[in-house]
Amino acid sequence: MKSINKLTDQLGRISVAVIIMSFGSPAIAVDDGARTYWKQRDGTNVVSFQYLNMNMQATDSQQFDPGQFIYPNSDTEANVMIASWARHMTLFNRASLFSVNVGGGSVEVDVDTSFIPPGFLPSAVVPGSTLSQSTSGSIDPSVQLDVNLFGTPPLKSTVDLLNNEPTWTIDAAALLALPVGEYDGDKLVNMGQNRWWGRFALPIKYHFGVFAPGYMSSFELTPSVWIFAENDDFLGQSLENDPLLQLEAHLTHDFTRTFYGSLDLLYRGGFQSEINSNEVGEKLDIGDLGFTLNFQASDNLFVRTTYSSNVFGDDNLDSSIIRLQLVYGWHRLTEASNKLKTGH
Amino acid sequence: MGSSWKRLSIRPAIVTILALTLSIATMQAHAADPQQTGQKSKRPNILLIVADDLGYSDLGSYGGEIKTPVLDGLAQQGMRYTNFYVSPTCSVSRSMLLSGTDNHVAGLGNMGELNAPNQVGKPGYEGVLNKRVASIAELLSDNGYHTYMAGKWHLGLKPDQSPRARGFERDFSLLVGGGSHFDDAWNLEWQIPKAPYTEDGRPVKKLPKDFYSTRAYTDKTIQFIEEGRKDNKPFFAYMAYTAPHGPLHLPDDWLRRYKNRYDEGWDGIRQQRLARMQELGIIDKDANAADRLFFLPRSTALVPAARVAQGRKMELYAGMVEYMDDQVGRVFDYLKEIGEYDNTVVIFISDNGAEGNDLRAMVAGQPGTMGFLHAMNNFAEDGHNSLGRKGTYAEYGPAWAQVSMTPFRIYKGWVAEGGIRSPLIISGPGVKGTGGLNKKAVLHVKDIAPTILELAGIQHPATYKGREIVPMQGKSWVGMLEGETQSPRTSDDWLGWELFGNRAIRQGDWKITWLYEPLGSEDWQLFNLAEDPGEQYDLSDKFPEKRKELIALWGEYVKTNGVIIGARSPFEQAGKHLPDRVPDYDNYPPVRGMEAIPYRKLLQLMSGSTEDKK
Repeated sequence: MKSINKLTDQLGRISVAVIIMSFGSPAIAVDDGARTYWKQRDGTNVVSFQYLNMNMQATDSQQFDPGQFIYPNSDTEANVMIASWARHMTLFNRASLFSVNVGGGSVEVDVDTSFIPPGFLPSAVVPGSTLSQSTSGSIDPSVQLDVNLFGTPPLKSTVDLLNNEPTWTIDAAALLALPVGEYDGDKLVNMGQNRWWGRFALPIKYHFGVFAPGYMSSFELTPSVWIFAENDDFLGQSLENDPLLQLEAHLTHDFTRTFYGSLDLLYRGGFQSEINSNEVGEKLDIGDLGFTLNFQASDNLFVRTTYSSNVFGDDNLDSSIIRLQLVYGWHRLTEASNKLKTGH
Repeated sequence: MGSSWKRLSIRPAIVTILALTLSIATMQAHAADPQQTGQKSKRPNILLIVADDLGYSDLGSYGGEIKTPVLDGLAQQGMRYTNFYVSPTCSVSRSMLLSGTDNHVAGLGNMGELNAPNQVGKPGYEGVLNKRVASIAELLSDNGYHTYMAGKWHLGLKPDQSPRARGFERDFSLLVGGGSHFDDAWNLEWQIPKAPYTEDGRPVKKLPKDFYSTRAYTDKTIQFIEEGRKDNKPFFAYMAYTAPHGPLHLPDDWLRRYKNRYDEGWDGIRQQRLARMQELGIIDKDANAADRLFFLPRSTALVPAARVAQGRKMELYAGMVEYMDDQVGRVFDYLKEIGEYDNTVVIFISDNGAEGNDLRAMVAGQPGTMGFLHAMNNFAEDGHNSLGRKGTYAEYGPAWAQVSMTPFRIYKGWVAEGGIRSPLIISGPGVKGTGGLNKKAVLHVKDIAPTILELAGIQHPATYKGREIVPMQGKSWVGMLEGETQSPRTSDDWLGWELFGNRAIRQGDWKITWLYEPLGSEDWQLFNLAEDPGEQYDLSDKFPEKRKELIALWGEYVKTNGVIIGARSPFEQAGKHLPDRVPDYDNYPPVRGMEAIPYRKLLQLMSGSTEDKK
């Protein structure tokens, strides 16, 4: 029995390690994050709580979240908490991931209104003055479904997990946000968008090195297109945006069995804004570069921090984002194994 | 005109004298080195290939499912033997292989690393190939053979104990018993943390980055033969592969060659091997195979994931065996290319039974010791997908070792058949019986040296370099190879073994063993190997006289070879190190031995219905 117990221990470690590799759910305010689309065993649940602090100084119209219109010559700070739940499952006999994101927070903005056409200013705001506004409340909640197209077998059992040594993988993902977040048509900034919006993405990964804890490395590339419906109450006017083209890339590497890092790149382009069918500001051309450090604190818990900053593209934006995140994952079998190990 | 004539008449005389001188000189040269010309074709090259911890039934030609087309092809050209014996561990076998005499005489009465206090310093327990023997390499080298070695030596670390010092003119050798198969060269023994290699007698300071043992030994063997063949002397090449000895290591592109091949578990694979062995005639149809060892569960009792995790280790083992087979093929191809294959006698053996012990635990010892710290630092990685790569330490354990030793009992380290029976394939000039199988001959590893010497036409001397050496105990197989006899031994001849205090004698079909508990009874047990190759039925009570006779032979074995039973043994507390007896095995308890019953069928069973309602 000693050898069997040893084996059980080993299997337990494998299961836990694989579950915890997952980031879980996409962070809608910025990028998806490194290792978001790593598939886990069918039935694995992951919850994540993340705090984001975003600072932006814009000299031209910009956006964040993505799709929020940012005025030129504005100074914005947002503090957002996002809670996510994700479940790994098998759909159409393919490894899949369904996730839900909800959250809320506050945004403060200082705008020099002298650069804004009077028609686009809230009533009672004197052109040329400096306007400070803030708002708080919930963001638009979103749901996303990601289905693997190539490279990852359905992970219905521990055997499937053990046999999974991916190299190239390609997924298809679709996100839909519901326009129920906090919105005030008289404010320059809001937490919600007052319109339907969504995304189609094609997450691609290449795993190199050994697919085992402590040795894993990956290159991840996620091209995506964000699409926005019309906001018919933007200061009493109509706001439309062209699709936002986004390219997210990560180069990740395990430093130890419980610690990995990632170099992160996020490029966004397009997203020309139109107010009452008149183009406002410039198209986006923003590139962020950053890093992620991810530490496994226990069998189930990950602690992650990310920092990124706008380093290329549009000269009119200076932005930085700090993200702190806790990720907790579990699976029925892992929990049962833990019960047996601890005797509780 | 006159001077012209003189010049013309003198020239032919000078030419004639020169020609005569050259002819005489050439004749003298041939007389001094008869191997240079005519005799070369009569003296065969010898290629001795030794696998490390390879199991009896692993090769395809012995019933295994592992792909070994090259060695199977060798078996098709030559002969296979089913009753070939080695020692339970490697250095002990190697001492007999190279000396032709018993290990207790040749210096390896015990493994050098494991000498008991009462054995230390005693003759025959030097822990190295001692000077009471001459190695076959020494004798062959002195008699016109090139002598090459690539692989594991394990017969002494010091310069005067090295392959170079014991007769190999060229060598690339791992001096210790094992270690990483890659360039990191980690050795399990903390006292020698890096496995030492020598090349042509000189220490190798650093292995190349792309080093992989099996490939490197093959490269060196080919290199040595190529560089030495200009003088047309025959060669003796000793290829002592370290595969498939643990740690189970493979180049990346070979890691998944057997992916999921062993997911079904050890019982199914063992049954398939048994069937193939019967089909091939390796074992008799009614041969009694050993039971699964008492501490091993039925493989179907394991959850599928556990079987996959355990199967991964066997995948690696199988990959190592196939890789070795592939590399042997490279040597054969090379010999064919240079026209030497048909003049080469190839002998293939394993050095002992398959490894079922937890070698890492045995060598590393307990937490808190230096050995454990060393193992933890260098061999701790055991992730499912990591295994087989540099920095990992995997062995495949007792269940798979028992599969490798189908149909026998136990595995490496023990003198039960599972520790000492080895495949043996011989092919080449003078070997009659294409594709044949010899089940009559009882053969021993110490027979190989006298066989090689006879093939090379060399008499074993009484003295070597001024010192007396012991006569060889092994019996030459040449008569058997040429088809004159079926076995070099009669039914009265007997063989003896002792290692770590475990003992055995075989005479004819009878064998007695004395094994430490719990794998043995710590008393003599008697088996009839013709009917019971799995050593399952102790016939001591039924044939007490036979038992007594064999015990008497044991006494003779001890006396003849100077055997000293160690005061300590790695197996003296085997029961404490082995897992507990599994609660359910085969048909006990009867219900738990059954396959799972779907609930629907259970309901039918309970209701008395025999219909399989859909």
